[in-house]
Amino acid sequence: MGTTRRDLFKLLGGSAVGALFTPAPWRLITDTALWSENWPGIPRPGSGEIRMRYTNCSLCPAGCAMRARCVGDQPVSLAGVKGHPLSHGALCPWGIAAHQLPYHPARLRRGPVERAAAAAADAIALCGAREHVAVLDLRPGRTASWTYRRAMAAVPHGLYIATPQAEWAFDLAAARTVLSLGAPLADGWGTPGNVFAARNTFRLIQADPVETRTAGFADAWLPIRPGSASALASAVAGEIPIAEAARQTGLAADHIRGLIAELHDNGPSLVLARNMSPEAMRANVALGAPGHTIVGRRETPVPEAWRKSAPVTMLDAVPDGSIRVLFIDESAPGDYFPWSAIAPKLANDSLVIAFAWTNEGYGRHAQFTLPAPVFTETLDDLPPAVDAVTAVFRLTLPLIAPQAVVVKPLEFIARLAGLPSDEALHERANAIHKTARGHVFTPGDGATTPLKSLSADNFWKALHQGACWLDAPCQGACRDLVLAGQEPLRPATQAGLPLALVAGDSTGPPLSSPLTSKLYRESNLRQPANRVALAPETARASGVASGARAILETVAARLPVTVAVDPGLPPDVVRVAGRAARALGARGKVVPA
Amino acid sequence: MVACAVENNIPAVPENASDRKGITWIRVYKINNGEAWPDCRTAFVPVLCQQCGHDTPCAHVCPQQAVDVDPKTGIVGQMPERCLGCRYCMAACPYHARYFNWWDPQWPPGMEKTLNPGAAPRMRGVVEKCNFCLGRLHAAEERAAAAGRREIDPADYLPACVDACPTGAIQFGDLNDPASAPAEDANRPESFRLLEKLGTDPKIYYRSKRDWVRRIASAPRPAGNEDRRG
Amino acid sequence: MRGFLPFAAGAALALAAGWAGFPYFIYKSQPQPVDFSHKVHIEKAGAKCDDCHALRGDGTYAGLPSLDKCTSCHAAPMGTTAAEKRFIDQYVTPNREPVWHSYARQPENVFFSHAAHIKLAGLKCEQCHGAEGASTGLRAYQQDRISGYSRDVLPVAGWRRARGMRMDDCIACHRQHRVENSCMDCHQ
Repeated sequence: MGTTRRDLFKLLGGSAVGALFTPAPWRLITDTALWSENWPGIPRPGSGEIRMRYTNCSLCPAGCAMRARCVGDQPVSLAGVKGHPLSHGALCPWGIAAHQLPYHPARLRRGPVERAAAAAADAIALCGAREHVAVLDLRPGRTASWTYRRAMAAVPHGLYIATPQAEWAFDLAAARTVLSLGAPLADGWGTPGNVFAARNTFRLIQADPVETRTAGFADAWLPIRPGSASALASAVAGEIPIAEAARQTGLAADHIRGLIAELHDNGPSLVLARNMSPEAMRANVALGAPGHTIVGRRETPVPEAWRKSAPVTMLDAVPDGSIRVLFIDESAPGDYFPWSAIAPKLANDSLVIAFAWTNEGYGRHAQFTLPAPVFTETLDDLPPAVDAVTAVFRLTLPLIAPQAVVVKPLEFIARLAGLPSDEALHERANAIHKTARGHVFTPGDGATTPLKSLSADNFWKALHQGACWLDAPCQGACRDLVLAGQEPLRPATQAGLPLALVAGDSTGPPLSSPLTSKLYRESNLRQPANRVALAPETARASGVASGARAILETVAARLPVTVAVDPGLPPDVVRVAGRAARALGARGKVVPA
Repeated sequence: MVACAVENNIPAVPENASDRKGITWIRVYKINNGEAWPDCRTAFVPVLCQQCGHDTPCAHVCPQQAVDVDPKTGIVGQMPERCLGCRYCMAACPYHARYFNWWDPQWPPGMEKTLNPGAAPRMRGVVEKCNFCLGRLHAAEERAAAAGRREIDPADYLPACVDACPTGAIQFGDLNDPASAPAEDANRPESFRLLEKLGTDPKIYYRSKRDWVRRIASAPRPAGNEDRRG
Repeated sequence: MRGFLPFAAGAALALAAGWAGFPYFIYKSQPQPVDFSHKVHIEKAGAKCDDCHALRGDGTYAGLPSLDKCTSCHAAPMGTTAAEKRFIDQYVTPNREPVWHSYARQPENVFFSHAAHIKLAGLKCEQCHGAEGASTGLRAYQQDRISGYSRDVLPVAGWRRARGMRMDDCIACHRQHRVENSCMDCHQ
């Protein structure tokens, strides 16, 4: 008879029934479900002991204190330090996600360091009599800045270009009325935590062409015409008649009169501007701000030996066509110089080397862009912000090893000049310690200790644990303040650009975590760079409708954008993202694509 | 919003995604009073899961029982591992506070080291929402247990958004404790809740002195201000 | 009867494969990186459980000790076994953390608080983890090939303990002691 196919099927049937009585099929179902929940595509957080480490953020000049929650050595989340005398526990969205920057995909991971060093050495050797080797420092006042100055003194024809550090600061806590001419107090001015902590002590009047975040945050909003802030400042300073200011700003003359009366009667008053122009400074002098709401501030002490270094030169003062080698340190973002202001100062065949995190900044114009360390990977110090009333000294600390093949701009430039650079921070800390002034705030326990009671070694150790040194107030020592104000760099302009460009929100740092897409792309909270907003009649006049694709034409670039129509905008104004506004200039035109 | 994303391991969405596919457990909406320049005024309203207390809509409709209302804390918890992605709860939620994972979480290489151990990353196809930073609540409970206590110290537990807000616009506390600041503020006349007439008993109270903000909060439909983007 | 034979044979084969063969095949066996003997450390070195497995200051639990705990004694060889010498050569000298396989590893979305169970409930280690203290070596880590969890957590027939560490096992004990609150107490 033999085995038939039917027997085979019976065997299989029996196996199936038997298998159901074993754990196998049920277990396989469970296992597959468990596997699908945890498949390799899903990343897993690290595990281990959680430690807190303290540092300071270096993404903008505020330098807010940060508490890093670390698994082992890797920071996994950042928070502010509550009770900190400078930042009061605040951190902006870019700072909160800054621990992700070292792994950012857009970050430069390697660069032609050897070639750049060779090219720089050659170019320096070829420098003519009236030509210069220059360092452009976007955040002056650091120890690194002093090392650049000493390096430029050692290199023949060396020049150190930066905005001179002010010897004064704004004391918001002492003010009762603040007139802000476009200064974004709620959106990235000074130290945000300090602004919010002092907010309840003063009445804020914001003069802005559009209702910015700060205008909404303020007690009163003056909707002035774009570019008329200096007229308003001159009126407050008593230099131009109120009727003239009313004509330029579009405000009622009575309104301006009332404003000036309020500033005088409800003092101490303060006038702030986006860039402190001479008119704004004169307005402050007219209101009696110096000594009250604008206080003198000593410079953070430096060793005496460093005083013999190159002076600070302003960009305007550099003769055209005279820079043969230019180093731009973009790794400590702060001041902004549009390329149109820098380019004329360069000689033909000049060499520009930028130290940056990405190619998107000055790297677009540089011959070499060398990768700089992100602040969580390197040791640096932070100068005081514009609203820190005393000198301060605090460090930003390396929490992790560099995640790319980086070159520290400081070491590169110092090596070219033959200067050692690693002991500079320690020397400066020692110089500060010698003054025996001020006190030290330690974030770990929130304690404040006088500097005199710490030994130099303990001071240095405390700085490495995130401590901050605050100087004693200046008072009598710096009474005669010279408030010059700074002429804004006049951006290039051309005819035929009918619309004024207005920044919708703040710029943000040059590199930001992918999570900030929550603010730009995954919500409409902030304006992305490829969107512009127009008032309804302006949109009609430009021939574009809401949601249409258009081209934004400016002196600097032609950008493809999408149009949004916003009745909350004044006529003849186009609102662009903050970062774009800085680079594009003051005027533009929107045309259909 | 960014502090929430950092604390809860919420990834950034792919480049081509719009704001309808983004995941932001707390989303700050910009509302305005509908006037033209120069009378226009804006306000910012953070909307997160309102932790509805009465007939919680999402818990009601979930076919998988993936939503659980904790009787002790009142927090409405979402369990992504039970969720099958039908998104019924997203339709049921009147506050649009629930978000769907359209994609697997993608982090740039190396950035997964920065993930927070207190929150499990979710896979694609599941819904997620604010849970008042349960990872932080668990850590506070663990600290209390290590000291032998059963109740946590209220000051020990703050969701990430409350912790991060630099102006103190968001406050957190125990509504049942009449002495706590949020409980006191909830009873003030300018305090209101979003869409109160729906009767979901949300636990998030908002306060504004401005009438137009309160009107928008109870509005039956958007005020036609969708063009106010950018 | 004759027709029934293939059926019965199939059933018997399947039962045998399922009960005896399946547990053998579904698990992948890996040895631990170091052949560590709990018994030696408890008897000879006088160590107690919480010298190495202890609650940290913030309430979290250090289940697997890090290398510095071992090197606090074993910077130099303390005995004569080959296992210790291997340990010192491969881990202490190059300062490399041993990659232990955790028998009790739970999925990411589970929050288990040792502090609550040890301090508030007064449970002993052996009640969930078994009598590890008496072991002379570390048993091999048996890991499910598909789901990746260990045999301690997800057991199948023929295991030394009937109870694993699945959610049902936690719930059984919680129900018994009437400590049931909400899903989010244990999930995150």
